[in-house]
Amino acid sequence: MYYISAASTISHQPAFLNPGFSGMIEPLHAGSALINPDYKEYIEPGLLRRMSKILRMSVACSGACLKQGGIEHPDAIVVGTGLGCLLDTEKFLNHALTVKGLLPPTSFIQSTHNTMAGQISLSLGNHGYNMTHTQNSVSFENALLDAMLLIDEGEKHILAGAADEHIALLDEISKQLNVRSDSRFTSGASFFILSAEKSDQTLAGIKDAEAVGLVKNIPEQITAFLDRNNVSPEDLDLVLYAGSIVGTEDEEKGFQSFWKMENLHVINYLKYSGIYPTASAFALHFAVDKMQHTRSLKNILICNSLIQHNLGLILVQSVEA
Amino acid sequence: MDDLKEELKRQLIEQLNLEEITPADIDDDTLLFSDKGLGLDSIDALELIVLLEKYHGIQVTKPEEGKEVFRSVNSMAEYILKRKG
Repeated sequence: MYYISAASTISHQPAFLNPGFSGMIEPLHAGSALINPDYKEYIEPGLLRRMSKILRMSVACSGACLKQGGIEHPDAIVVGTGLGCLLDTEKFLNHALTVKGLLPPTSFIQSTHNTMAGQISLSLGNHGYNMTHTQNSVSFENALLDAMLLIDEGEKHILAGAADEHIALLDEISKQLNVRSDSRFTSGASFFILSAEKSDQTLAGIKDAEAVGLVKNIPEQITAFLDRNNVSPEDLDLVLYAGSIVGTEDEEKGFQSFWKMENLHVINYLKYSGIYPTASAFALHFAVDKMQHTRSLKNILICNSLIQHNLGLILVQSVEA
Repeated sequence: MDDLKEELKRQLIEQLNLEEITPADIDDDTLLFSDKGLGLDSIDALELIVLLEKYHGIQVTKPEEGKEVFRSVNSMAEYILKRKG
């Protein structure tokens, strides 16, 4: 078991510095805005002016998470991002296409994906292991797996999280591609302290995680994952999912009929997080917060198939004695 | 000359994302790279080279000139006028 000692999220939901937010969330609507903290409280002005939205979210969210966990320097910083620093990438490419001569260095430097874990490290003055994973819709799961492996190797506290940012071009591209979606494209960041040992601060545990590319049969993959962890579908108190898992019009009924469990509680977390490649990190915080405030929840499964050929699975367990 | 200096202050704010600073906050002789002034750093120096080319069509070909050229808005304005002859 890997223990979550702190969790922090910046999203459309009132999650930031707000334990119990899972009881007050509402589905996103057209007018709902990202709830940004006062970034000046977390980032020096000299650094802040250069940071795009995704970097501000990542540094502030991870900073709040470390403060919550009472950890000044984690043993490692591991971040997942599906699309990386899109604003700076767009800015740099637009300059490259329209400006003759020299190109501005800041947007170039900050357009690379590894800026994310790097900027967190720089803001902390941390010299530990530093990694940004990018595997599209399962980037967060891969970051989480990396953090779990580091704990297996003897590290004590890992800062693990994910962030993605929305730019208007994504809406345009999805329109051109006729992408069908039941929520809107947006931004979000979630960070966690993953610890080797249980403490008074432990919020929940991660029993296991898996990231599968080119998945052939999602329900079979989920069953094998549960079997491997000695958990039966009957043990699940809640399933948080994204995308088409069972492949039916009504996914909730699909889950229930697949496992022959009429009362299985199933929630499409994209309705609350909005769509971004690492929204499963929001789902993890949602699950942890829900577990903290609903003691009857013992096992929560997060099934991420935001992109049909990728599958991310996270099994969250309560840690009550 | 005064118009050029005001224009430069606006361009500095935009190019360097100097949030919460207005042109009125920058004096003509404010030191750009001093903590007593704007506190800019080496990446900003590169951005200023881009600024001169982008807005004024001037390439800084002698790097050794940079220290004096980018001392203040005054020195930048003088350099632009000198280069445009």
